[in-house]
Amino acid sequence: MKKILTLLVASTALTVAIGVPAWSAMHAPTDGVLRSVAALFDDSAQTMSLAQAGDDGDDDNHWQERTSRGHDDDDDCGNFEDDDDDDDDDDCRNGTRNPKPAGTVAPPQNGLFGNGAPPQVQVN
Amino acid sequence: MKSLLATLALTTALTFPGLAMARPVTLTTTLNSYGGDGAYLALYVTDASGAYVGSLWMAGGKSKYYEHLSDWYRATGGDAGQVNGITGASVGAGRTLEITLDLADALFDAGYTLHIDAAAEDMRDSPNEVAVPLTNGGTGSPVAGRRYIASFTYN
Repeated sequence: MKKILTLLVASTALTVAIGVPAWSAMHAPTDGVLRSVAALFDDSAQTMSLAQAGDDGDDDNHWQERTSRGHDDDDDCGNFEDDDDDDDDDDCRNGTRNPKPAGTVAPPQNGLFGNGAPPQVQVN
Repeated sequence: MKSLLATLALTTALTFPGLAMARPVTLTTTLNSYGGDGAYLALYVTDASGAYVGSLWMAGGKSKYYEHLSDWYRATGGDAGQVNGITGASVGAGRTLEITLDLADALFDAGYTLHIDAAAEDMRDSPNEVAVPLTNGGTGSPVAGRRYIASFTYN
């Protein structure tokens, strides 16, 4: 009997320890899995259907035709001094329009992620 | 003692399903040696009707280039907030990007599709380079892209 009790206590402690954060993530105030699964269908009329985008798959516009790394003429971030490097600079100091890198904030609560565990990334 | 046992059994039974609501999924994307600079990649999910649900990963940290990920950009309006906390560096030609995410179980076998838009500097944009249904049966099956992506798998 004591063995069963011990096992149940241990399993309860384990599941609560893991389950509570997951439960909290699921019941986030704005978006959680439960909300999102139900809301997917409600929102679908308002969001653009990618299936109907009518894109043939190739975009003939080249990178430089719409944005220029050598000449930074966009207005979203005035502090970009050097566009030649890639991903080395952080957010704009005044605009912060670049996304927060992984590991610095939790993944968005868009209903796709489970308990908010940080993503692990590796490039080989 | 019996009531204690019953309570513990009940709490265990109630909390275990919560653990099964998400699982770690590794998304592996290998790029072709296309001979250009690092590629920006947007990994995102649409539902059965083709509507954007959310983003899983953004490879490339400068939002001003996101317009080249044109399907993702069209669906999100280029909102960088969609990829806060799930953004990393762009991926070089010939390199392999491995991302492990804790994904909701509800995504699998429910009509959702994972898409990848790709773009590289001074090269053609490639929206919807990969579109793969998220199914339990599809795990481990490589899918080839059209231009930049040699193969994509999820496990």
